[in-house]
Amino acid sequence: MSVLEIESLGVSFTTETGDVPAVRGVSLRVRPGETLALVGESGSGKSTVALAAMGLLPGSARVSGRVSLGGTEVVGAPEDVLARLRGRTASMVFQEPATALDPLSRVGAQIAEVIRNHRPVSRADAAAEAVGLLRRVGIPEPEKRASAFPFQLSGGQRQRVVIAMAIANSPDLLIADEPTTALDVTVQAEILDLLRGLAADSGTGVLLVTHNMGVVADFADRVAVMLDGKVVESGPVEEVLLRPAHEYTRRLLGAVPRLAVEELPGIATPGVAETGLAEAGVAKPGAAGPGVAGPGAEGPGVAKPGLAKPGLTDHGVAKPGFSKPGVAETGLAEAGVAKPGAAGPGVAEPGGVEPGAVRPGVAGPGAVGPGVAKPGLAKPGVAKPAGAEPGIAKPGGVEPGVAQSGSARDIEDAPVVELRDVSVRFGRARRTVRALQDVSLTVAPGETVGLVGESGSGKSTAARVALGLVAPASGAVSLFGADLGRVRGRRRRALLSGVGVVLQDPVASLDARMSVGECVAEPLRVHRRGMSAAERRARVAEVLELVRLPAELAGRGPRELSGGQRQRVSLARALVLRPRLLVADEPTSALDVSVQRTVLDVIAELQRDLGFACLFVSHDLAVVQQFAQRVVVLRDGRVEEHGPTMTTLLRPRTEYTRRLVAAVPVPDPVVQRRRRGERRASLTAGGTEATA
Amino acid sequence: MDTLLYLTRRLLQALAVILIVTVVVFCLLHALPGGPARGILGPQATAEQITAFNHEQGLDRPLPVQYVHYLGTLLQGDLGTSYTLNEAVSRLIEQRLPKTLLLTVLSAFVGLLLAIPLGMWQAVRRNKPADYVITTLSFVAYSTPVYFLGLVLVLVFTQALRWFPSQAPQGETLGQVVADPVALVLPVVTGAASMVAVFSRYMRASTLENLSEDYVRTARAGGSRQRAILWRHVLRNSLTPVVAMLGYYVPVLFGGALVVEQLFNYPGMGLLFWNAAQSSDYPVLLGCVLVISVATVVGTLLADVVQRIVDPRVKAGRA
Amino acid sequence: MSAVLNTSPAAETVVAGYRLSLRRFARNRLAVAGLVVVVLFLLFCFVGPLLYETDQTHTDLTQVNLAPSGAHLLGTDAVGHDELGRLMYGGKVSLLVGLAAGLLATVIGTLWGAVAGYAGGWVDAVMMRVVDAGIAIPALFILLVVSAVTSPGTLGLVVILGLVSWLVPSRLVRAETLTLKGRDYVLTLRATGGTHGRAVTRHILPNSVSTIVVAATFQIADAILLIAYVSYLGLGVRPPSTDWGGMLSTGLTAAYSGRWWLIVPPGLAIILVVCAFNAIGDGLRDAFDVRGRG
Repeated sequence: MSVLEIESLGVSFTTETGDVPAVRGVSLRVRPGETLALVGESGSGKSTVALAAMGLLPGSARVSGRVSLGGTEVVGAPEDVLARLRGRTASMVFQEPATALDPLSRVGAQIAEVIRNHRPVSRADAAAEAVGLLRRVGIPEPEKRASAFPFQLSGGQRQRVVIAMAIANSPDLLIADEPTTALDVTVQAEILDLLRGLAADSGTGVLLVTHNMGVVADFADRVAVMLDGKVVESGPVEEVLLRPAHEYTRRLLGAVPRLAVEELPGIATPGVAETGLAEAGVAKPGAAGPGVAGPGAEGPGVAKPGLAKPGLTDHGVAKPGFSKPGVAETGLAEAGVAKPGAAGPGVAEPGGVEPGAVRPGVAGPGAVGPGVAKPGLAKPGVAKPAGAEPGIAKPGGVEPGVAQSGSARDIEDAPVVELRDVSVRFGRARRTVRALQDVSLTVAPGETVGLVGESGSGKSTAARVALGLVAPASGAVSLFGADLGRVRGRRRRALLSGVGVVLQDPVASLDARMSVGECVAEPLRVHRRGMSAAERRARVAEVLELVRLPAELAGRGPRELSGGQRQRVSLARALVLRPRLLVADEPTSALDVSVQRTVLDVIAELQRDLGFACLFVSHDLAVVQQFAQRVVVLRDGRVEEHGPTMTTLLRPRTEYTRRLVAAVPVPDPVVQRRRRGERRASLTAGGTEATA
Repeated sequence: MDTLLYLTRRLLQALAVILIVTVVVFCLLHALPGGPARGILGPQATAEQITAFNHEQGLDRPLPVQYVHYLGTLLQGDLGTSYTLNEAVSRLIEQRLPKTLLLTVLSAFVGLLLAIPLGMWQAVRRNKPADYVITTLSFVAYSTPVYFLGLVLVLVFTQALRWFPSQAPQGETLGQVVADPVALVLPVVTGAASMVAVFSRYMRASTLENLSEDYVRTARAGGSRQRAILWRHVLRNSLTPVVAMLGYYVPVLFGGALVVEQLFNYPGMGLLFWNAAQSSDYPVLLGCVLVISVATVVGTLLADVVQRIVDPRVKAGRA
Repeated sequence: MSAVLNTSPAAETVVAGYRLSLRRFARNRLAVAGLVVVVLFLLFCFVGPLLYETDQTHTDLTQVNLAPSGAHLLGTDAVGHDELGRLMYGGKVSLLVGLAAGLLATVIGTLWGAVAGYAGGWVDAVMMRVVDAGIAIPALFILLVVSAVTSPGTLGLVVILGLVSWLVPSRLVRAETLTLKGRDYVLTLRATGGTHGRAVTRHILPNSVSTIVVAATFQIADAILLIAYVSYLGLGVRPPSTDWGGMLSTGLTAAYSGRWWLIVPPGLAIILVVCAFNAIGDGLRDAFDVRGRG
């Protein structure tokens, strides 16, 4: 018998603007010991199904159909009956561990409360049991922690406490509503391991609600995909994720950014496997097919030194979105032309090309030698100064070459932004938090640098320092060659006009009291005082088109736009002055994957056309991998590791980065199962896992 | 150690506030027609007398010098001498302040005792008839001038029903005042009315906010009943912001006491102040303002400290 | 290609914020009732005297202390003024002074709070200590001291009331400014070279409007109530002019001799109008979804 049976469930909400249907005719069942993942994008109704199963929908909800928990009907049941089911027959784990616990009660007491809700246990016994549960969910020193208040625990630990509450009465069903969405990847992996272990131990059925295909691949036995309140496809996890039948599922999976991992089978990198080096090929797995072909085809042309631009060309053609890494290497390849060996195979798959680039040797000799011929052509944005001296080959060579050869660096054009030994402290006296310590990073013209790290790593602070919003306690920031700490007034403002900014929150990024047109035009009003209204309107229409939004949108209010549209409006505002640097702080992390894909595509395409440099802050390694040529990994306010994206994220030098990469679940159940095994093995071998 | 740090900072802030209050009072003193001289010599003093007095007292010196001098006398506890009662102002206040504190503390206590359950009840029965009725009543209570409310209560309870005396206890000491609790009822009720109105609104809003918090859903998902959640979790969480508001309500309470004491002839500071105003007894007026302000600052400080005790998060420096 | 995936019908049909707020307000029965009461009282006090003419400047000792009757619907007072006409006459002063003082307090408070909140640092610290000090001195005490010294005219009264009651709005606006200056769109503006002036005038103040409007409504309610105290404290407008508070305090003694018509009408008028403004403020706050006093 199933622990949860849902039969043609329908839910609609009464709102101020009328009735909104959220779930229409959903049928599901969860058997004992089985994990069913309910996936979908925001607004698909997946969380509503979960809440309906617990009878926890708000009063404004109207429910039809049947929901049975362990044989008891939930729909229409009185609060009394529901209270007896909740926490015993079925339990729930929520998304936000920060707010899920009563801030003023000790965690042990909150667990004991759930125990005593259902079993006639004495206060003391319940307290003792709570300590046992805390131990079971992996909280160190559970006796001590039981008397802690929630705010004294980390996010991951709080989620463990919520899980302890959920399993306190050994329920038949555990409903987990985005249980790891608010957590960092490494913590997410730990929580998923914990849930998996608990479910396996006790044969509890699990209903996992999530938008993350990697989590699904990692955890689920079966999958149901929801769209607009309906289940469009369901089946075993391998079936659905590897051979999706429904059009929507396919599109959804296609839009998921995948972290390329070295032993990635299948995807477009056969050649790579042989050389073992071909990171470039791996770089754009999505683009794999056509993308790879492009540069590959041009590759040979590169052999003739004079032709440097081909690199540029395919850059343009190859794959709209994420070609950057590949391109960079192609460009380099020309420089390294010296080794024809590299060029040869390169024709077949670009992957063959860059290995050369990666090797330090390339940059030095390659750059100096034949590179001279075509330098100016390498990239449009970079071109001007490059033309000056012949050695310039590295514009294309960008990171790898530059990084390794000091000589090449000297003739590098000035970085658009540079942080030197920057430290930032918040608070005073004993409360001081060191947000950044001796952080150095540069972004060269035209390149994209990814800034990654977990929450609290200081990545957003670093971006804010680069923008001049946060003044460093020590160290220097230079923007377009000027010391940002020194320039004031008009000069500072002129300097900043070369910067475009896109921030995370699509709602807070636009002033709701302005029209879209006014939002986009604001930088023009600030920096192009003389511009006529007509010119302004024309320019606004122009950039709106650039970000693929209809010009009519200019008259609308931000409230009328979807999240993805709003982020594109922010992008349009950022680009309206043709900046030389775009700073993007988690520009897509509040968006659904499909929308994220569109926004990233637009940024990448425009960067190619307009040639601005980009400082890209993200917690999502897969996105950064596809987007950035170089990556800087931050941890606790320090630079943990930096280097070319492909090298750093495929073969990290530090243990921390390795753990970070290993914790990212990939949306392929077969691969993910293997990765999980490897991660576990390395953890037990390494022996240290911080459970901070 | 953090608590110590916090207390020191908070105390310094309070001192800064008191300093600003002394500046305001000093300015008031000098804004009086004829200045303090007229205040001390009385309205009948001649111009020559005033000039002589000013010179003698150093009142023709620059204002900042005088201010420092004024602060010096304050520090010695010297608030001047009442010229109608012929007694040191500090002495007068010393006698009256405890009685006013008794009245305000009792009013606040009674007010909160009613407001908190009322507000919670309203939140639970949101948008039901009970909620509307209490909301309307609290609007009325808030909107009624205290002296009008007091008058109505006197007319009803002392004239018509004769349940209570129309005068507050007249005892010299606190003990004598407390010994006559029946006579205290009307003054306390009058003082508490607007408090009930204001704080039941706060409590209602705070409870509503907490009822929609995630932790309530977690508790429900664990099988806790509505009533248990309300008493065990929501009450405490809703109270903390209300306690913080209490600090800002202290001056209103004193303002209320001013009217209530005059109305019921209760011999506290409010009445002292009132009579001083009628006879232009400036030293008493300004002394009272100063003392009441300090009491308010201390009250606010206490509310903050209490909130720190109630809410462990505040202690950790997170709001 | 993936733009097709961008299907969020809900987001496309969001009703504009203001209309939604308006609708919410309209559904709040107490708030709408408050609005009706205020409009009725405005008509009563400003249009009423045109229809119901009475002499409020000269005393008429032949018509003293009359109980309500056909000739004098609400009776007459101790110097022979018609009480109904006086209610209109006094209401004019109460409403005008209340509105003006409430608005003045809001303007002062808004400027003070916005500057403190936006400047931050020690400027903020000093400015807010001044507010703390102002709050620490109970307004009634200040008013009583002032009344002992001087008796101001109507304009003076507005200024005095404004000066003692700008503190609460200043705190609200400061809090709002603090939130708004950390908003992404303000950060974006500043990071791309926008001036502070632009941030304040184009973003922070316009977005504080709802908070300010709500504060102003409550401020007006408080000001009208405060005027009622002012006369009681002996600081009110001078006869023959009067206001509701003045009528109430002169009528106090009459109440003991049973002449209820001298205190009940002005008392009810004050309560009704103050209630009405409070209900409107409450409704606006909920409709705009801003924080303010309980």
